[in-house]
Amino acid sequence: MSLIEIKNLSFSYLEDSPTLQNVSLSIQKGEWVSILGHNGSGKSTLSKLIIGLLKADEGEIIVDGVTLTEETVNEVRKKIGIVFQNPDNQFVGVTVEDDIAFGMENLCFERSDMLSKIVEYATKVNMADYLKKEPHALSGGQKQRVAIAGILAMNTDIIIFDEATSMLDPKGRDQMMEYIKSLKDQGVTIITITHDMKEAILSDKIIILKEGEVLASGETKTIMNDKVLLNKSNLELLLPLKLLYMMDEANIKNEKVHDILWQLSLNK
Amino acid sequence: MAIKFEQVGYDYPGFNKESYSALSDINVEINDKGEFITLIGETGSGKSTLVQHMNALIKPTRGSVTVYGIKIEKDINKKGKKVKLNPLRQKVGLVFQFPEYQLFEETVERDIIFGPKNFGVSEEDAKIRAKEVIKLVGLDESYLQRSPFNLSGGEKKRVSIAGILAMEPDILVLDEPTSGLDPKGRDDLLKLFTDIHEKLNNTVIIITHDMNTVYQYSSRVLVMNKSELVFDGSAIDLFTKENIQKWNLDLPEILQITKQLEEKLGIKIQKAPRDIDELFHQLKEVL
Repeated sequence: MSLIEIKNLSFSYLEDSPTLQNVSLSIQKGEWVSILGHNGSGKSTLSKLIIGLLKADEGEIIVDGVTLTEETVNEVRKKIGIVFQNPDNQFVGVTVEDDIAFGMENLCFERSDMLSKIVEYATKVNMADYLKKEPHALSGGQKQRVAIAGILAMNTDIIIFDEATSMLDPKGRDQMMEYIKSLKDQGVTIITITHDMKEAILSDKIIILKEGEVLASGETKTIMNDKVLLNKSNLELLLPLKLLYMMDEANIKNEKVHDILWQLSLNK
Repeated sequence: MAIKFEQVGYDYPGFNKESYSALSDINVEINDKGEFITLIGETGSGKSTLVQHMNALIKPTRGSVTVYGIKIEKDINKKGKKVKLNPLRQKVGLVFQFPEYQLFEETVERDIIFGPKNFGVSEEDAKIRAKEVIKLVGLDESYLQRSPFNLSGGEKKRVSIAGILAMEPDILVLDEPTSGLDPKGRDDLLKLFTDIHEKLNNTVIIITHDMNTVYQYSSRVLVMNKSELVFDGSAIDLFTKENIQKWNLDLPEILQITKQLEEKLGIKIQKAPRDIDELFHQLKEVL
């Protein structure tokens, strides 16, 4: 049984222009899945449907055996944390520590437990020095890290990162990717919603959305090797992969270069 | 010189009366003609704080910023007379991160003319400007009568940039304008900025984390690190001569690949390639 099972999901904001059409997919426990697509492909809408912020027109979402309905939405939300693209949309606290505490308060954590968790997770995202600061005085990237700490502290089984690294600098993003990897190793199921191939290539599975439909889904390596598919998806090819394809086309055979470029696309 | 920073420091007031420094001893001059500047540095290094000084949105705690002849200091308005800062906001147009959240009018046209009208342009003239700038940002006139809220994220960004352009600023400052856009949206928007820059010969300043943007587009790069301005020069000098790791910066992807290939294959690529085609051709030669 999959941890998240989505069956024939359809949703539209406006009549006659569906944002998602007949989307079916399943995500296993402990997997890191990337949902990849360009702006307007419906990927963020999908994440909002999964946590019940939007209600599907048709289809079914089952999370950990619970079918998402108006009655079960709170139960489902306890299982899923989500970090949005723009941290300003999820700030509520007066100080950084209040903000990190907010999600835990909602889940009725013990106070002593909360206090230690605030420090623990602020440290993990390198924001421990800022606990008494007001969120508005932080930079965009710092705010994003605080938002992430708040979600991590809730200790949910599933975490959705909805373009959550788009405001981080490259170092910050690499750190976050490392951290996502370690979360996955601890058994957390991860869904990253992104248009960034560099992030997607780190995940176990990739689901490509295009114009509201599932264009492809499969193991990361299989997808990344499918030149025809990637061209069709309108996604930007990773540069090393592009160079690899150029060499193939020019019929330049060099095993060593091939290996180096492939490793480079895997960020290694 | 349009903008001149002299020994500028800025402290953010914090909780419990403590404050922390976001800028320290900044000295830099910026022209209002023909510069395409990228401003880079880690999150929290002071980039956004720096640009907010450029049109007196915030005032320095120490030192002074002179913008079009007006010297802005900490106590500028405490010396008896009130200095009007409004004209500076027309000269230096600032587009914030996620400007699309600032759209509020019923139609795109009303949103665009809001700024110019505030600066004393008549409604009629402002509407003529709206027609020009909507085309400048790559949208057609039909957008003017649409509601800004039914547009896509990329279109909203364009409309909010049009609103700033309608004030005809000499210096256009954009704080992470492409964050949240997909690669195509990003490239389209960057092309838009270079088009505007070429057409108006104005100065464009872009805050970004994308080293590829820095490498491909900028005529000048400013690097902030821990509240200080640590580099002011060309992109190629930055990436080939400086030790950028100490500022937590990466190489642009194309130079990363070049470096890896050089190290692992024991080859030498003579000229730093601008793009993947240049790398491919040079690689073909040496293999």
